[in-house]
Amino acid sequence: MLENILQFDGISKSFFGVRALEDVSFSLPGSHLLGLIGENGAGKTTLMNILGGVLAPDSGRMRLRTADYAPRRPADATGAGIAFIHQEWNLFTNLSIADNLFINRFPRLGRSPFINRTVTRKQTAKLLESLNLTLSPETLVDRLTPGERQLVEIAKALSTGAEIIIFDEPTTSLTAAETQRLFDIIGGLREQGKSMIYISHNLGNVLELADDIVVLRDGRVVDTGPGRDFTIDRMISRMVGRAIDQIFPTRESRPSQEIVLEVKGLSQTGIVKDINLVLHKAEVLGLFGLMGSGRTELARMLFGLEPFERGEILANGVLCSRICAGDCIRRGMAFVTENRREEGLLMEATVVDNVGLAALPAFASTRFPRLLRHRQLSEAVTRIAESMRIKSGPVARTLAKNLSGGNQQKVVIGKWLMSRPAIFIMDEPTRGIDVGAKHEVYSIINDLAAQGAGILLISSELEELMGLCDRILVMSKGEITGGFNRAEFAQEPILHAAFKGHQRLSQNGRAGQR
Amino acid sequence: MAGAQVHRVLVFGWGKALAVARRILLSENFVLYLSLVFFGGLYLFMPYIAGGRNLANISSNMWPLLALVLGQMFVLILGGIDLSQTSIMALTSVIGGMLMTTRLDPALFAKSPLWGLLLSADGSPLSGTVLAVPLGIAAMLLVGTSVGLVNGLAVARFRMPAFMVTLVSMMFFSGLAIYLTKSENIMYLPDGYTRIGSGGIGLVPWSFFVVLVLGITSHLVLKHTVLGRWFFAVGKSVRTAVVSGVPTERVIVIGYALSGFCAAVASILYSARLAGGRPTLGQNLLLDVIGAAVIGGISLFGGKGKVLWALFGVLFFVLLSNALSMLALPFYTEPVVKGSVILLAALLDVTRTRLLAREVIV
Amino acid sequence: MRKTRDTMLVMALRHTPLILFVVIFLLFGCLSPRFLSYQSFENIVKQASYIGIAAVGMTFVLLTAGIDLSIGSNMYLSAVIAGLLIQNHNLPASLALVVCLAVGLLFGTVNALAVTRLKLIPFVATLGTLWIGRGVGLWLTKSVPVEFPQSVTQIGSQKLFDEVPLPVVVFALVVLCASVLLRWTALGRQIYAVGNDLEAAKKAGINTARVRGTAFIICGLLAALGGFISVSQLGIVNAGFGKDREFDAIAAAVLGGTSLFGGIGSVFPGTVLGAILIQMVTIGLVSAQVDLYLQPLVAAGIIFVAVLLDSLRTRQLAKLSRRHIRVEELTSPRAGGIVPMLGEE
Repeated sequence: MLENILQFDGISKSFFGVRALEDVSFSLPGSHLLGLIGENGAGKTTLMNILGGVLAPDSGRMRLRTADYAPRRPADATGAGIAFIHQEWNLFTNLSIADNLFINRFPRLGRSPFINRTVTRKQTAKLLESLNLTLSPETLVDRLTPGERQLVEIAKALSTGAEIIIFDEPTTSLTAAETQRLFDIIGGLREQGKSMIYISHNLGNVLELADDIVVLRDGRVVDTGPGRDFTIDRMISRMVGRAIDQIFPTRESRPSQEIVLEVKGLSQTGIVKDINLVLHKAEVLGLFGLMGSGRTELARMLFGLEPFERGEILANGVLCSRICAGDCIRRGMAFVTENRREEGLLMEATVVDNVGLAALPAFASTRFPRLLRHRQLSEAVTRIAESMRIKSGPVARTLAKNLSGGNQQKVVIGKWLMSRPAIFIMDEPTRGIDVGAKHEVYSIINDLAAQGAGILLISSELEELMGLCDRILVMSKGEITGGFNRAEFAQEPILHAAFKGHQRLSQNGRAGQR
Repeated sequence: MAGAQVHRVLVFGWGKALAVARRILLSENFVLYLSLVFFGGLYLFMPYIAGGRNLANISSNMWPLLALVLGQMFVLILGGIDLSQTSIMALTSVIGGMLMTTRLDPALFAKSPLWGLLLSADGSPLSGTVLAVPLGIAAMLLVGTSVGLVNGLAVARFRMPAFMVTLVSMMFFSGLAIYLTKSENIMYLPDGYTRIGSGGIGLVPWSFFVVLVLGITSHLVLKHTVLGRWFFAVGKSVRTAVVSGVPTERVIVIGYALSGFCAAVASILYSARLAGGRPTLGQNLLLDVIGAAVIGGISLFGGKGKVLWALFGVLFFVLLSNALSMLALPFYTEPVVKGSVILLAALLDVTRTRLLAREVIV
Repeated sequence: MRKTRDTMLVMALRHTPLILFVVIFLLFGCLSPRFLSYQSFENIVKQASYIGIAAVGMTFVLLTAGIDLSIGSNMYLSAVIAGLLIQNHNLPASLALVVCLAVGLLFGTVNALAVTRLKLIPFVATLGTLWIGRGVGLWLTKSVPVEFPQSVTQIGSQKLFDEVPLPVVVFALVVLCASVLLRWTALGRQIYAVGNDLEAAKKAGINTARVRGTAFIICGLLAALGGFISVSQLGIVNAGFGKDREFDAIAAAVLGGTSLFGGIGSVFPGTVLGAILIQMVTIGLVSAQVDLYLQPLVAAGIIFVAVLLDSLRTRQLAKLSRRHIRVEELTSPRAGGIVPMLGEE
């Protein structure tokens, strides 16, 4: 019987009278990987913050091996051998890998304040080697891919002597090859005797990796057990608290023959080559591919945010030339970007300001001076917020930064709904939001199509696309490598098309793309 | 027992007082209250500060400074800064002066590069004509707006940092003003012009009306037009604004142009009052402008700002300067007091932000 | 063949300050042969020393994504206190220097506390101390200029080994110490880290308050030193001494490649080149006999071009290091575009 390396006993925490965690108890056995799953707001982040010494629990206690564990600051957690690999990497892009690893514990040259560079270089090289990362320790982090950066984070964790490693949404920005490499490394860590907690919305990955699973809902532990006893259905139904027979709403409407968006021969050297596609009215067209296959770049070209050298784009039959985002919006297009915090929302603005942003000209008088019709704008925003079930305080006062991920995404979609677009481009619209909100977004997409919009849906989750779309196109290395009608949907051929061009492995053991 | 009751009342009263104090502190009109309290306090010691003469003095200092702060407000909301406002004032003062002046002393101005071309002992070709003043003013506004446009283009099109662009502008245009006049002040401006600075309707000077119009227009733009919303959007997140179809480059250029325009307006008011075109006009005002904006609550990070805040900031600032000179304190107390006030205002802002953050229920 | 050419472009873009420096040097050299003399160059570096020292201090603050607008007032106040002590208490020059540096250090500490303890943003905090510092200085001197005796001014004209002017020696020493500190100590690396990502630095366990505060203290110290060097050349401090010098220091640092947003920049060659460049322009204009009144205009124009090139360079480099999806296409002879030389720097 493996001894428990970490134990949570009756941990509770409230914020302003709202219960974030209630009587959470479970244990992490040594050399095990524990999958921690739950919707956003279920309490995972709060629990991890308590573990990491960022917050103190109101009641309950933690035990590390046999001793009590009550960290008062993050440094205590690090000192106790607990390391966090967060979603947002805490690396300094202007420093080298070695500098990053040793940033607050540089070895000195004797008693002088000077850094012993030889030691740092050697130790860093050794760590990188153990992770199969053939990079020089002097490489600036700036130049690393997301996958490499994450491995540097892991190296950082190992270098502080961590025995317990917590992974928080580690695969969000990784390619399939990088994800596989991560899993290999996790296996290696397990063999070395490290214990891990793995938090992810990717339930399939959790099933593959976890020895044990803990499900949180509304701050409570609602299910625990060995990983092999779990199925996706069980995980989802426990997370959401109700059986979900249907994750995806039925596609009732059928796409019409009318074409709303046509792309001919679109090319930009080094990015995409000879893209041809057609989007119909009332159609949901999926665009699948591995990360880095060029889908986001293509979407940005369609929306006038990136230039292209050759080809034509026709929106509603009208040729678009020298376009910018404003022109595209005027032609009835909408674009939900993959990074809502940086490009989708004004974090410091209210829900009303955010939802109204793209449609402002439509709510102003046409003659100079173009005065805003505040009341109409406010009413339209409230209507949209209600129809989308955006959960926030009063819309005119709540700031976007205080909303949960799912509600934030709904605000972004709501913003575009205000202009009633005919062409909707969505790039990873369900990334980083919990299952309940995902379901709502799927319904919204379904409704939009039923009302006649053409939707180009970019996603890295194949099940999502297969459940929602009428057709799926596959991109790889900047080219369209396959197209499938709904009747032809099958995982293998689609994945096959997505991997085209990635077969060759370079000498370093990394997949051909960078 | 009576002691316990008194204790309870005291605790209750103290709690109430704290709550009221907290509400005042967090209120948006805090600086206004502060100004009123400050004025009231001073009145107790020096009743003559409420006298017509002194009020007129306060007023004549307030309005031109407010014009500058209104212009800076647009740029601050965009998340930028305009260090060149004072040099725009100097340049426009000189250009307007040259066009409007009726007499130029050859001994002083013969070395000017424009002597012989545009200027002569009788002033410019316009001098003495009916058009001199309106055209002069128009030229000033045009030049101010144009410099602002150039600043805006450099920031928007070439993505140069606003601090550096407007710093270089400041160096260049104040240098230009000095170059054109060889450091001499231009005098003998026509009455039609100087009356703007000294006249008015009853006790209310013309500058008040000018800045009133400017203020009301600015408020309308910010709160009730699409352009105003766009200013805030660009200041809060330029990338989101781009994706959402906001013509960000145009918005940025307009913001800086407005700042230049307002600087020109301020220049008209100051130059009229001083009855001269001065290449060193406003040399020390830049920090006053930014100080007043900060005190009023306009954020240096962008995305926040109101005309009323500009007004309150300028009000407090001018009251402060006025009080210092009324108290006949030595001149060196002014920078010390101004510096302390700015620090206090910033500290207050930090405290307010922290208190407000706690009020939000996650 | 193509690869070499493209690598050269990338290298050119990375070393813009140096290239600009050489271009300006040659330009003025052509306009006036007098400019190219050793004495002229020695003069330039000597004149650049005092603002160069202050600019090195400013670099520390800029690297942490801060800014210090008060160094002009700092120079004034520390020089004035030292000068008054010499005048009224017959303090020897060396002690006066110590006092001057101590005041500068104190001034920097006030800034440091305002930013780290009171949590004020650097722009506003140093704006406040700018005013207060100048006011206190004016109060101490009642606006009367402070003269310095020969014991001080001879420092300005002394030469080490009869060849190198003392101000230049001090400048070089400061640059050496600063470079070593930034590259070879934990504090130096942490300064870069804090400027890059404050939140990540906190999470990494770095005492960000200490790092940022130290940057301001160093800036205050070096500002006072720079002021003293200037006084040793001028011999007198009047009420306007140091006014607007913060902008010169910032310009020198930015021209040398330091980013106003933090995390990017270097003391050598960066800021040193920037400081000398500005001085070179000023003196070059004099030797090219440009109209005195036009000089600030030309200087402003040159700085504008330098900042413009820097902005273009930043954008171009960002574009180049963007990940390319179809790498094979870029290495074929017919393709346009530039190959990012990853891992080859």
